[in-house]
Amino acid sequence: MINPNNHIQHKIYDVEILPPKQDSEKLDTDLELFATKYNRVMESGYSVCITDNAMGHLAFQGTELIEELGLKVDPAQVMIHLNTFHTKADIHHILDICKAKGIESLLIITGDGSDRLPKLQPADVCATDVEAVTSVELLKYIQQNYPDTFVLGVAFNPYEPEEHEFAKMDRKIAAGASFIITQPLIEQNAVVDKLLEKYPNIPVTVEAWMSKKLYLLSEAVGYEIPQDTEFDPIQTLKDLHKIYPKCGVYLSLLGFKTQYDLIKDTWI
Amino acid sequence: MKIVVCIKQVPATNDAKIDPETKRIIREGMKAILNPFDTYAVEEAVLLKEKFGGEIIALSMGPEKAELSLREAISVGVDRAVLLNDRAFGGSDTWATSYALSSAIKKIGDVDLVICGKQAIDGDTAQVGPGIAAHLDWLQATYVMEVVDTSNSSITVKRMHEDGYDICELQLPAVITVVKDINTPRVPNLKGRLAANKCEIQVWKPEDIGADIDKIGLNGSPTRVVKTQQPAPRHSSTIKITGTPQKCARQMVRELRLRNIL
Repeated sequence: MINPNNHIQHKIYDVEILPPKQDSEKLDTDLELFATKYNRVMESGYSVCITDNAMGHLAFQGTELIEELGLKVDPAQVMIHLNTFHTKADIHHILDICKAKGIESLLIITGDGSDRLPKLQPADVCATDVEAVTSVELLKYIQQNYPDTFVLGVAFNPYEPEEHEFAKMDRKIAAGASFIITQPLIEQNAVVDKLLEKYPNIPVTVEAWMSKKLYLLSEAVGYEIPQDTEFDPIQTLKDLHKIYPKCGVYLSLLGFKTQYDLIKDTWI
Repeated sequence: MKIVVCIKQVPATNDAKIDPETKRIIREGMKAILNPFDTYAVEEAVLLKEKFGGEIIALSMGPEKAELSLREAISVGVDRAVLLNDRAFGGSDTWATSYALSSAIKKIGDVDLVICGKQAIDGDTAQVGPGIAAHLDWLQATYVMEVVDTSNSSITVKRMHEDGYDICELQLPAVITVVKDINTPRVPNLKGRLAANKCEIQVWKPEDIGADIDKIGLNGSPTRVVKTQQPAPRHSSTIKITGTPQKCARQMVRELRLRNIL
């Protein structure tokens, strides 16, 4: 399984890769590209993190891609995102494949829905005390139904109202979360600092935004970032290592053509 | 049960541009998707097949790239697909389209049930389903929210209307159009999609379906678009509500009521 402390010690990046979209008009090419990226990350000794219908865009599941493309799984190097926009049957199908393939690390998130995605209902996960299923209920359900099978992580959003986010994190930890990944950071963040203080025994991984298009983060951070804002992702990554030396680093939107070869020298 | 599910590929955007000359949507360069309402029609067909067995044929009329939407239907359980593709079909209005589709349904033969989405999101007419029933002279039920029962010779459905719902029993063959409430469409998986990519899509021309050339395309379309205009964009605005939770909740309810949302 992925051990965040081990990642920090051995300078192992978590590299996010996006699965091909359902409406791809060049699926074969996209599948080949996905497999190439996956294998490159694995060969580098980093870990592959596969998103689950990120931003509500319909994409193929990480588990089915691994199965269909015959991709090698090393439990220490693969993490699957799993959100609440699935049917109960799909959730079990995904978890069963993970179990069979030896994928142990799951990032449990509430997720972004869309008209095409079904939403787990409270009754599906035996949650009688809530009106909507969030990552907390899904986490509890997985812990109960797949005991000692998975290492479950959760997301932390320092841009949400702090009191609310920490209360939610308490519930996530109580439900069995054993590692935390933040939303993208581009500088030191006081709320993340508090997170590290509050949960000293839970490994925290900070997300580094690797796209030069910083304005794409506007929605996540909750304020407008001008389109012409200059941003150096590699330098920011180096800075994040200095600011958060005890944290793992999750790379989102990493450029495989131009940036990949540069990141081996960033973790000093 | 032999089911034909009629689907349409539509522009994926709400920012559709209209050709000022032809008054039709400019489709070049726009991303296209399976009409969202048709996904419910496909799902209902697959559910019926899973329950009663039989065959599902997806039928569409459109450009070559409409194949992608037909393949999407195959990827979730449709058995085969037919595309009506020929210049002669171009410019068909809902009457000519439903004529062409009904001709194809006759050609497919022995069809028990035709299922359509309630409407396409580009034209929003909701006329093609009823038009098919009219051309075939079959019974129809529109805005179906539940298939209550089926037998070899009939289908019982619950249909929505403004004041409630009706329960209707239709002798087969029949045409139904379905609304979103009817089911939750399954999401295609990779295995299904890869299999669908290998399927051959039958492409039929007017002569293949015995269509009268004067009843399709622009010539067969009695609709004349006299004028089109784009609606004014909806401006969103943000209201910040501050205060105690109780006060905020009261204020939010008030704002929602003012906008007739509550």
